Parts: sequence; C-alpha cells; structure tokens
Amino acid sequence: MNRARAVLILAWFLAGHALAQEPGTRVPSVTLAPVGRVQVRPGGSATVQLDFRVGSEFHINSNKPKSELLIPTVLKLAASAPLAVASEKYPAGEDLSFPFAPGEKLSVYSGDFSITVVIKAAARTASGEFPVGGELRFQACDRSACYPPRSIPVQFAVAVVGR
Amino acid sequence: MRRNTLVFVALCFAILGMVASGKYLARTRLLRPNSMVGDVRGLPAPDFELTSLDGKRVKLSDFRGKAVLLNFWATWCSPCKVEMPWFVELQNKYGNDGLVVLGVAMDDTEASKIARFTSEMGVNYPVLLGNDKVSEDYGNVQYLPTSFFINRDGKFVDKGVGLIDHNEAEKYVQKALASRVVGVNGSAAAPGASRRRSPQTGAQ
Repeated sequence: MNRARAVLILAWFLAGHALAQEPGTRVPSVTLAPVGRVQVRPGGSATVQLDFRVGSEFHINSNKPKSELLIPTVLKLAASAPLAVASEKYPAGEDLSFPFAPGEKLSVYSGDFSITVVIKAAARTASGEFPVGGELRFQACDRSACYPPRSIPVQFAVAVVGR
Repeated sequence: MRRNTLVFVALCFAILGMVASGKYLARTRLLRPNSMVGDVRGLPAPDFELTSLDGKRVKLSDFRGKAVLLNFWATWCSPCKVEMPWFVELQNKYGNDGLVVLGVAMDDTEASKIARFTSEMGVNYPVLLGNDKVSEDYGNVQYLPTSFFINRDGKFVDKGVGLIDHNEAEKYVQKALASRVVGVNGSAAAPGASRRRSPQTGAQ
C-alpha cells in the first residue's frame, strides 16, 4: 500500500509541476479591498483610502513609470452630483530591477498599495447615499513577461449626512 | 499482498492514461482558436495578412520556403526589449541561410510611435501591426513576448512563451532552417532550394 501512496504523491507532484510549467496560462490579478462606510457633510469633504492588492509573482507599473513607453497605473473615478472627486493621490512606486533587465530599475507596485481619494459634497445637498465609480487601469508583468493592459471596476458609496 | 500489487498496477495504468490523455488534449486544443497552449510542434502555422510599419501587406505564406521567427511583442513590454537585439543578431547571422524574423507589435498605439521605437532599437527585420485576429489565431497571445519558430514548410518547430534564452532561440532557429521543403508532389527539396526573394522585404 505504501507503493500506491508513493505513486499517488508522485502523480500529484507531477501534475502540479506540469501546470506550474505552462507559462502564459496565469492571469495577473489586482483586487480592491472592500471600502468601508464613507460619510461626508454637505459642503465638506471625505478622504477615502482605496486598498489594492497585486497578485503574487506580478507587479504593475506605478503611476509614474520611468519610461514614457510604459503604461502607468491610473485610477479614473467619476462621481455624480452632488459629489465630486477633488483629488487622487498615488503612492510612490518601488524601484525594482528584474531578471529580464538587471541593470534597469522600474517603478512598480507589487503586493499591497493604496490610492487616496478626496470626495467633496456640494453645499446644499439633501442626505442620501450616492455612488462613486470608475476603474483602475494597469499593466502587469511577472519576472519574464508582460500582459496587456487591463482594467478592474472600482465602486463605492458615499453617504451625505445632515449637519 | 496480491491486492496491493493489483492496486499498484491499476494506479500505474491510471497515471499513464492521464499523461497520454493530457498530451492528446494539449495537441487537439491547438486546433481550436484561443487555445494554443501546450505543444505546437509539427502543427501548421496559421497564415495571416498584416500591415507592416511601412504600409505593405505581408502574409506569412509569402515566406514559405524560409524559416520564420515570429515574435509577438509590444513597446510597453520590458522583457521584449531584451530579446530584440538577439533577433537582430540572428537575422544578421542566418538571413542568408533563409531566416526571416517577423515582429508582430501588439501595441494599441500609432504606427509612428512603434516605428520610432524599433528604429531606436536598431531592428533590422519587418515589424507588422498585430490585431485581435492574429492573436486569436495564434492561441490568444496574451503573454509577451511570445515567439513561434516556423520551418520552411510552414510548420511550428517550437515556441517560446515569455523571455526565452538566447541560446535556446538560436537552437530553434537552426532547427527551423534545417527543415526541408516538401514540394507539391511530396518530394523533399534541400534547404534553400526553394528560396525566393520576398516581395515584401526584398530579403533573400
């Protein structure tokens, strides 16, 4: 029975190895963590931190990559009245070099990164909940290749609360 | 003891069956669009017609009789930049033997920007403007760079997904060049026997 167990373990290992060896079959993922409750008073503003996570083994260009040819990570948000997106603040990228170009440093995001957004509410606004939506556009690579640019939806709600 | 042996033999057969069916599926998947994942060797390379940076229409079948290194790349792909000087070198080294390097730019940008980039990189081979159709025909090329090595008969010798090793690329090129052209009557001609001047590039 030990031999059978050994064969099963070997088969499991070989199957895993075979899948891991098939490049081009992985899809880079960037995910947005759930956004907590956002409140703003009429005429006021609220700061919203959007927490993103880049899938392991991947990196994406920062908002300010070191070459004009590289595609920056960009958040495009739109808020309908009575809200407005006042500003977006991107984190600085991490300067990393990769095996494909050891002498070159790229400005990238990997792992977790956050973009801070300021939402403003018009002065004369009735209470209520309003959606803010858009997308994060990014272009991901791993240690030996790159994927075409992709976008993921970014949506959260902002509650306008009375004075 | 006998039962254990039977289980062991059954497991061996099951594993062999899984490996065989996996290999079969890997090959048959290649025959359908969007699934050119796995072993492509021996399969015919899909023909295409694309526009080159200088505005000419170029077909893969124009190069029948030559070995083709078909490289999918993009200006925003840093690893692709690493391979380009190698391909320039391979084109210089093996061009007279019948190698044609073809770049397929998968950028969603103006041709002039791509042309400026290839000029700066010293690219000495034709660069074509890729599209969704050619990407789908070649298995939905998403992972750049991806290179296909095609022999003189228009069949895949191998492919490289992601940044490949320089020596490996040269080995595949040599393999593609070593192939013989099969004539219409099935007879094999010596490599280079059917070489002709390309109408698009003027390359020998």
